[in-house]
Amino acid sequence: MSDFQELVKSFPKTREYVRDFFVYGFKTRDEFKDKSPRTYDNERRRLESWLGDYVRKDYVSSGSNISLAIDSNLLDTNPLFRVWKTKSFTDNDIVLHFLILDLLQDGAELTVEEITGRLLEEYEALFDIQTVRRKCNAYEKEGLLNKSKSGKTVVFSIDNSLALWIKSNEGVLDALAFYQMAGIFGIVGNHLSEQLDYYNRTFRVKHSFCVHTLEEEILLDLLAAMNQKIDVHLEIKSSKNGTLNTADCTPLQIFISTRSGRRFLCGYVKKGKRFTCYRLDTIKTVVPLDQSNEYEELLARLDRNRCYLWGVSFQGNDRSRLNRLTMTIQALEPSEQYIVERLKCEGRGGTVTRIERNVYQYEIEVFDCNEILPWIRTFTGRILSLKCTDKSVEQRFYRDLQTMYQMYQI
Amino acid sequence: MELFSEIYSCYYQVLRHLLCSQDTLTIQDIRRQICGEGFEESLLSIIPKLEDGTWNLFEKDGKLYRSRLSSSFITPVSDLEKGYLKALLADPRIGLFLEKEQLEALNKMLALVAPLWRPEQFYYFDRFVDSDPYEDENYRNCFRTLLQAQKQNRYVDIDYTSPNGSRVHHHYIPARLEYSVKNDKFRILALKPAQPAKDLHGRRHRQGQTGERMKLEILNVSRIQSVKLMQKTLSSPVDLDAMIQRSYYKEPLRLRIVNKRNALERAMLHFANYEKNTTKIDEDTYECLIYYNKNMETELLIEVMSFGPMLTVLENERLLSDLKARLQRQMRIVPPE
Repeated sequence: MSDFQELVKSFPKTREYVRDFFVYGFKTRDEFKDKSPRTYDNERRRLESWLGDYVRKDYVSSGSNISLAIDSNLLDTNPLFRVWKTKSFTDNDIVLHFLILDLLQDGAELTVEEITGRLLEEYEALFDIQTVRRKCNAYEKEGLLNKSKSGKTVVFSIDNSLALWIKSNEGVLDALAFYQMAGIFGIVGNHLSEQLDYYNRTFRVKHSFCVHTLEEEILLDLLAAMNQKIDVHLEIKSSKNGTLNTADCTPLQIFISTRSGRRFLCGYVKKGKRFTCYRLDTIKTVVPLDQSNEYEELLARLDRNRCYLWGVSFQGNDRSRLNRLTMTIQALEPSEQYIVERLKCEGRGGTVTRIERNVYQYEIEVFDCNEILPWIRTFTGRILSLKCTDKSVEQRFYRDLQTMYQMYQI
Repeated sequence: MELFSEIYSCYYQVLRHLLCSQDTLTIQDIRRQICGEGFEESLLSIIPKLEDGTWNLFEKDGKLYRSRLSSSFITPVSDLEKGYLKALLADPRIGLFLEKEQLEALNKMLALVAPLWRPEQFYYFDRFVDSDPYEDENYRNCFRTLLQAQKQNRYVDIDYTSPNGSRVHHHYIPARLEYSVKNDKFRILALKPAQPAKDLHGRRHRQGQTGERMKLEILNVSRIQSVKLMQKTLSSPVDLDAMIQRSYYKEPLRLRIVNKRNALERAMLHFANYEKNTTKIDEDTYECLIYYNKNMETELLIEVMSFGPMLTVLENERLLSDLKARLQRQMRIVPPE
């Protein structure tokens, strides 16, 4: 273990480990089949180091396993944000970071030569000009430094006005505290508020799914492609059997489930001439391809089709274009009005009709009625009838109900 | 724009705090800071670099360390962060936090910045449709008052319409503002002084100096008619997390998951927002313990039911009997053929 390093160079491998520990949390050393025992030990040690407070150890017959015990009801931050703060760096990186930014704090515009000279004079830090130039250019790319021309010479400077403005506006800091918990790219909000030494002590998020922060690098690449309207090549690892696949598509929109936190890329696959959704947590890499010539047209088509989606599936079992599902339920009036409200609120555009006293009908037309079944089951106890033009859906519902009667000896 | 970059790393953050310190530091001070903020093994990496001067960021004066940086050091906002802020400006909830003038000022500062995303690039396909009225002036005022009270530990006087339509009027301390992604609604986790217990003569006595006994209530912000900030503050801190944990049933929900139709992964992700513990029983069978309280009960039951026969509730008796009652009712209204 002498070569153990707490920090890591790249994110993807770490992402898989953290996800496995967090999502499953019951795998012992032997069950991480794809990795060598030494890799497992190192990754496990890192995880314990980064997320110590949340790591739980259990001893089972097949060995000990560790898992992440995270109760989202008790969180003022997403513990998995810490995984994003583990990038390794060189000695020069950290020293130059602080010294260059400190040197330029007063708004001075300096050339690389001047910066190099003053690092030596004022901080006794000797660097060659090339190293300083590389760092300044890298920081200009990240937006930390401004690069401009003064005559023929290139100068670097800092503009801290935005950082100072945010620091003095508590409303923005509160907004950052909220959005880092509840919004897209929460990790960026977390970076920024930590930078300004402001920590969330106000907001909690119900239905918070911490693990999905691990997909944000993939999301960033996809949004970049969407903004440029270019096609992408995806490398996908199946969540069911671990097999690797690839797909080329036009990335159009990100679909999000608020109930599971899962996020999907909805793209158009030219080869199959259809829309398809890919789970973000299964996408391993995103490679930009060529400009899409029909981007706006595809977006408009997706817009027209979206009302026939229940979830993320554009095709049902029987491959017919659309299927209709009708559910009749009992809801006592007026005491069970909340059931009718649920149908309206959660029914995703389906129509709700009062058939007679205490009886309501819900009806919807979608591509894949299979996707509705989990929601339909939540009305168990009051379903008077379920009909679907895709008969397999109807059959599956009643078969599952039978199985449940047997399971619970009803 | 890198998301995984050393400029956001934990080590840089710890070092920044050390370097912005006005005082000279001993190695013990430095160790303490690293232990508090760093990872568990960060000490082993950082201390030698400071001691041998590889990270030449402190002047050493005997055993004391003095920062070479100015105390007003501030890290500039990166392009990634600017793009993030710009994207937030298009979110309807931003008006809860910023006044019109602040929004205009921020917009002006970010005029040349491209947003990291645009709202229309995302589609929340299963979000409930009755979200809170973020544009409503009364709602915004209530929200801001609650936010202020929460931060200052102050009591508020709340006039509230309960779900059954009755008006209630009470004094609360907002302990947290809770947002539900699924409902797109804010609630407050509110502390309310509990009625002191009655003595043998039926009289209620005030608590002693240790502060009032509190109970936790959850109120929908959209149901609040009016809220007034009071001068009175919370006399002693309340451990909210301990209160929440104490509210969990002693017997968690115990589920058996048979890994068919990818049920295991679906269940693990679906219940990821609960504290849970999963054990493998045999090749295809797993058991999962889920900890919850009365407030979460109906929602959890509904979530379990949505999985159909893929999950079996083994315990606790409470949830099991609720589930069975629903199945029995279903069987009564539509008897199997």
